[in-house]
Amino acid sequence: MNAADELYWDPYDHSFVVDPYPLFNRMREESPVYRNERYDFYAVTRFAHVQRGLADWRTFSSARGDILELIQSGVELPPGTLIFEDPPVHDVHRRLLARVFTPRRIATLEPQVRAFCRRALEPVTGADRFDLVEAVGAEMPMRVIGMLLGIPEADQPAFRDRTDSALSTEGRGRMEVREKEDFGAEQFRDYIQWRKEHPSDDLMTELMNAEFEDENGVRRTLTDEEVLTYCTVVAGAGNETTGRLIGWFGALMARYPEQRRQLAADPSLIPGAIEEILRFEPTGPFTARYVVQDAEFHGRTVPAGSAILFVQAAANRDPRRFPDPDRFDIHRVTQHMTFGVGAHYCLGAALARLEGRVAAEEILKRFTDWDVDWNAAELAQTSTVRGWKTLPLVVEGTRR
Amino acid sequence: MSGRWNVSVDRRVCARTGLCAASAPAQFELDETGQSHARAETTAGSDEVMEAAESCPVEAIAISDAETGEPLFPPES
Ligand code: HEM
Ligand code: SF4
Repeated sequence: MNAADELYWDPYDHSFVVDPYPLFNRMREESPVYRNERYDFYAVTRFAHVQRGLADWRTFSSARGDILELIQSGVELPPGTLIFEDPPVHDVHRRLLARVFTPRRIATLEPQVRAFCRRALEPVTGADRFDLVEAVGAEMPMRVIGMLLGIPEADQPAFRDRTDSALSTEGRGRMEVREKEDFGAEQFRDYIQWRKEHPSDDLMTELMNAEFEDENGVRRTLTDEEVLTYCTVVAGAGNETTGRLIGWFGALMARYPEQRRQLAADPSLIPGAIEEILRFEPTGPFTARYVVQDAEFHGRTVPAGSAILFVQAAANRDPRRFPDPDRFDIHRVTQHMTFGVGAHYCLGAALARLEGRVAAEEILKRFTDWDVDWNAAELAQTSTVRGWKTLPLVVEGTRR
Repeated sequence: MSGRWNVSVDRRVCARTGLCAASAPAQFELDETGQSHARAETTAGSDEVMEAAESCPVEAIAISDAETGEPLFPPES
């Protein structure tokens, strides 16, 4: 029996959560077009294949979802979900959101994001031990989405919990797909009415007023249902992913103290460090598509009708693209696959980078040295996200 | 928004969203790998082109005044 016969990847197997990389490396080198019979999917792991596949929506459709369980469930997805649409309809919807998500507009949120981060860190300043995920990671991204949408602060923790539970995986790790999945849209319904009566300078108001030409060439504004869907999509896509990024910052900076010291001494290195964290530990390790016409990778055919996973976590460590890829190095300048590529390239990338940078800056302003209580730390993988659920930091150095 | 503009796309950062080509098809087109480029080096300035540049998620599109060379997007900070 040769090595390739023994290669087996079960994306729901928790024993791979801690370190999936040796297996990803083997898949990329020994079986670049991987086939899992049991769960009936293909997976590609090389950078060039992931890039080509994600950019080719004509062959690899998002219309059935971008999560394996969704694609396989055949569940009906509500219209206007953006992530689950293909061009040209996707582009009509995306352009509407892109207007309010321009990198420059996102940059104007920085003072608010920083103020929240400072408030979140206040209770733990001076502590010799605290859970970074609980203090910052779990809370901040939903608060920031709340700032964007104009959700009153007092109601925000409830939003987070409802979105998380809609995307969580129980038991064996496969996500439960409900017959008519709404991803927790109900929670926003009340605010639409309320916002109509209290318009302000926020995303929800802007979406309600934006005029656009729809896919049938009709000039109109969005219906309430559509506004609701947009809000839900943004909340679902931007919450856990970004929260986990902050956890990975804490974990990797504990594991690489020398690089942490460099950051503490020179904060101008932080944006580069965030990129390297995104490459090294992408919070969404893979993205699924439905194959609408036969495709070929590496001389092998992936037949129409299949589900395929594009494994960004493996592509990010492809030695064909990144020299010495398993080395963590904040000085690397890279273009990783963590935000995807093509039509669905992460709409919130600028926001995620802003949050990651601000959190890193504020943490390093207070704490210079820490380790993690690894025995008490808990790593989790859902059908979309991998990262720390609990990350107790043991503080070893602070600024006076 | 008027006059002649120089428009260019930085391919090292273009994330192949295709959005600029979808919103300003007269100015941007995609190559076979999905990367964007300006159809012509100079073009008539318009809100449409400016909006495409502003909406690019990675700010890969640069616009300058064709006569004076003054950067219009991203603005000089
Ligand atoms: C580290 C944090 C984040 C990561 C790793 C991430 C990753 C991704 C990826 C890989 C995609 C493409 C999915 C696909 O191709 O099917 C995506 C799409 C998207 N992301 Fe993010 N994201 C992050 C943060 C955010 C934030 C903060 C927001 C907004 C508040 C956001 C909103 C979106 C939206 C709306 C889409 C859909 C875009 C489209 O379909 O055109 N993301 N994200
Ligand atoms: S909008 Fe930006 S990233 Fe998208 S294709 Fe155009 S230049 Fe490339």
